[in-house]
Amino acid sequence: MNDEKKISSPDTTEQENTLTLRNLKVIFPNEAGVIRAVEGIDLDIKPGECVALVGESGCGKSMTSLAIMKLLSSPPAMIRVDELKLNGEDLTLLSEQKMQSIRGSQMSMIFQDAMTALNPVMTVGRQLDEIFMRHSNMKRKEAKEHSIKALAMVGVPSPELRYKDFPHQLSGGMRQRVLIAMAFACQPKLIIADEPTTALDVTIQAQVLELLSDMQRKHNTSLLLITHDLSIVANMADRIYVMYSGKIVETANAYELFKKPLHPYTEGLLGAIPRLSDDHHEFIQIPDSVPHPMFKPQGCYFHPRCRYATEECKCDMPPLREIAPGHCVRCFHPLSEKGEDK
Amino acid sequence: MENFWKKAGKGIKAFGIASWKKIKKAILGFGDFIKKLWMRPKGRVGLILLALLFICAVFAPVIAPFDPYDVTQRAAKGLSPSWEHPLGTTITTGQDIFSMLIYGSRVSLSIGLITGILTAFIGAFMGILAGYIGSWVDTVIMRVVDVMLVIPTLPLTIVLTNLFGKSYGMIIFIFTLFGWTGLSRVVRSQTLVLKNSNYVKAAELAGASRMHIMMRHILPGVSHLLIMSTALTSAGIMVAEAGLSFLGLGDPTAISWGKMLAEVQSGGAMLFGHWWWIIAPGIGIFLAVFAFMRIGVAMEEVFNPRMKQTSSVYKIFKNLNGAYIEEVFDSMDEKEKLGYIEEKERVRHE
Amino acid sequence: MQKSYVIKRILYTVLIFFVVLTLNFFIPRIGVEDPAERYYPPQGNMSDDAYEAVKELTRKQYGFDVSTAEQYIRYVSDLFHGDLDTSFKSGSPKVADLIFERIPWTLVLSLSTMLIGAILGISFGAFAAWRRGRWPDLILMNASTFTTALPSFFIALILVLYMGFEWEWFPAYTDPNMVAGFDWSWEAIGRVFYNAALPIFSMAIGSIVSYAQTTRNSVIAVSGEDFILTARAKGLSNSTVLYKHTLRNAVLPIVTSLGMSVSGLIGGAVVIEQIFNWNGMGTLFLEANNTNDYPLMMGIMLFLSTFALVANLVTDLCYSLLDPRVTVGDKR
Repeated sequence: MNDEKKISSPDTTEQENTLTLRNLKVIFPNEAGVIRAVEGIDLDIKPGECVALVGESGCGKSMTSLAIMKLLSSPPAMIRVDELKLNGEDLTLLSEQKMQSIRGSQMSMIFQDAMTALNPVMTVGRQLDEIFMRHSNMKRKEAKEHSIKALAMVGVPSPELRYKDFPHQLSGGMRQRVLIAMAFACQPKLIIADEPTTALDVTIQAQVLELLSDMQRKHNTSLLLITHDLSIVANMADRIYVMYSGKIVETANAYELFKKPLHPYTEGLLGAIPRLSDDHHEFIQIPDSVPHPMFKPQGCYFHPRCRYATEECKCDMPPLREIAPGHCVRCFHPLSEKGEDK
Repeated sequence: MENFWKKAGKGIKAFGIASWKKIKKAILGFGDFIKKLWMRPKGRVGLILLALLFICAVFAPVIAPFDPYDVTQRAAKGLSPSWEHPLGTTITTGQDIFSMLIYGSRVSLSIGLITGILTAFIGAFMGILAGYIGSWVDTVIMRVVDVMLVIPTLPLTIVLTNLFGKSYGMIIFIFTLFGWTGLSRVVRSQTLVLKNSNYVKAAELAGASRMHIMMRHILPGVSHLLIMSTALTSAGIMVAEAGLSFLGLGDPTAISWGKMLAEVQSGGAMLFGHWWWIIAPGIGIFLAVFAFMRIGVAMEEVFNPRMKQTSSVYKIFKNLNGAYIEEVFDSMDEKEKLGYIEEKERVRHE
Repeated sequence: MQKSYVIKRILYTVLIFFVVLTLNFFIPRIGVEDPAERYYPPQGNMSDDAYEAVKELTRKQYGFDVSTAEQYIRYVSDLFHGDLDTSFKSGSPKVADLIFERIPWTLVLSLSTMLIGAILGISFGAFAAWRRGRWPDLILMNASTFTTALPSFFIALILVLYMGFEWEWFPAYTDPNMVAGFDWSWEAIGRVFYNAALPIFSMAIGSIVSYAQTTRNSVIAVSGEDFILTARAKGLSNSTVLYKHTLRNAVLPIVTSLGMSVSGLIGGAVVIEQIFNWNGMGTLFLEANNTNDYPLMMGIMLFLSTFALVANLVTDLCYSLLDPRVTVGDKR
């Protein structure tokens, strides 16, 4: 499935992007200094494409997603963006009211923890109704029919009964399905899924991911999948952005990234996935953790944890260079070069 | 026998050293804590006020110009404020109001602090017991709490002082009896959280006794609640004590701020418009309670930095240096830097 | 709301009521062998024989001549017939009658205080949460330390001094005619509130601030919840998010604090009633205390406790109507 897209994916397409994001920066000023959460991120998502944004927690993934939805409140955040377009419509110019009519209908979001993401004192049915009533101008009765249909679509058994349930009466997997139903309710162009399966058991995780990719294919929606787990991305994503400490460090289509990672960080992330077929069982570990967003190191943000770091890495931030077509990396010493050196 | 004494001596010595180390550690820890409070404006205000009040209470005979307990040191009745009597004298007895104010701090502070500390002890004990042991102990303690919360405190206090006499011991006893309930609930729920934490489970698996776990693992985990409660309960108790003395149910022989207010009312200060007589005890109560409250709030900030007033974020936002923020944003741009790096790259490749 | 929950809650309330009842029965009997001694303490100028005779009379009158167990049973059964012993007051009025004669006056004070406190406090708290970090919020954040530090009876004294005596806006002491001449005319009702102005005002300040504080914290806590973000991500308008999602959830802790404060307000009115010589339960209680009128005191205590119990029960049931989670797991 990936193969045909791989060929057509990078720069050659003239097709309009579902989402174009250029140079997004998000900072949080506080009394001790400035937290640099996101430092200039570019994203392109094409229609029907599934793009993954991967990184450890605290690297600014969620901030990016909220900034795209324009849901980050300022204060405390301060946001700059050069370009933010959804289907060619410039979102930066839109008023909050216009944004509200876009949220939920043209782009929507799936949150991490369905337990806290659903209003505990409202039935799930009512929470679904709200979307139809808001965006399709339906009356309650009509909305109810649609809600039940939407619940059935995401595989909730006996949806008429579940319609009247409160979130705490559902299981974790069911709750996540409800959230997915809410996200797909108005058949938006873009869905942002922020760690949609982190709070679930592994078996349920697989089910939910499958549902998500089924729904995406059925509705031909673009999906921005945000996660810290490269393994769940492997089967779903067409293209992958790897993010580290507020910056994109590597981007490539999924096949190439898994086959030939260029950035040491990506290598580390891949190395942390156990594989049965591997001959050498050695895990590559990344020591330490993401630098505090207020005290980022000089030079390449990854150098304190990088086993290939040189003096140069300690002084300057490497630029994002295109090594192969559609494969960009932010590193002075991409891994393939080292391979050649050997 | 000789051996035994040697051993015993060593034991005592070791015990002495160990306990001295513990005491030293506690003192150092406490000093550190006070320092942290001092770093916050709220904590600093509270600490300074409290220190002043303590000086007043301890050195009352030195500071106060007259001894209000001494019948011979009474002046003319109902004097207005003057140099000799900074807050005038009472209409009823001619006592110096300023001196009464100073002496009154003794009652308020001691009752407030003693009750606050006792309450913390009992609240911690009951809360940890209910939370950690669970089962019937939990049920019994929580039902007792439910009953206590229903009985109106002030009327019961009045009944009990009527039954057993008006004394500060009695007042402290009753306030403690009723004060621990709220705290024990909070401690219990925190204990339940700790009980499920991994380190407690690890200790249980390692075979630590219940007593050991409660003292070593759970008590430190709830200690911040206890310290905070001591400050806030003390504040509340001082108000309650003033109310009780105001109703004439405090110790009839002692001078307290509440009792001064009662005299204000019965002495007709309002009729004569002697506002200084009314304001004086009110300010006493206000300052003491205010000091404890501020310290309590500052402690909350120390223990839960996240709970800190969200308003500070807005304050920062208002005072933002726009140019600096622009600089930060610009520093993330790579366009101008690119040239430099590209050049470097070229150099590297050559 | 599940039926089983309601029944469980009611049964539990009844259980606590019996515990309180028992405590109430035993408190005056603590520390003395013969309760008659408590009810009629020895007086210096009375000969032993005369005192014995008086004690005998007291025993008869209050039924102390039987065993404690029997006394307890009689106490409980009397109670269910609405009989709370006889007061020491001249004319031997029934305690229950005395209480019901006074309770409306106390309710005037405490319910108006609560109403004013709730309306002003909740709206001000919501306003402060909305304008978080601006001046209304900053005032509120600091006000609570001040209102706790200034006890209501001190505020009352200041009000009496200025609004009562100096400027003569409101009566400094309750007009005795207010009670005696009350006849449900508009004029009489107006007179009640004219007299109640200062007491209500002095109690309301603290309760306004405390409700405002609860509301503010609750609204802010809820607006940081994930489901508010979900609601906004659904594209709901700000007002829908505020009314349907934020306030609907923020109301829960406010309901609890309202319920908890009912009993506190009635019990705490003792001091204020005393200052203004208000003809309510508080003054009745203090009168009883001054005359060692134990039947009356314990009757009032029982009444107040029951009132608090009922208030808690109603609060819990309201809470379970508002929060569907309660019926499944116990909220405590």
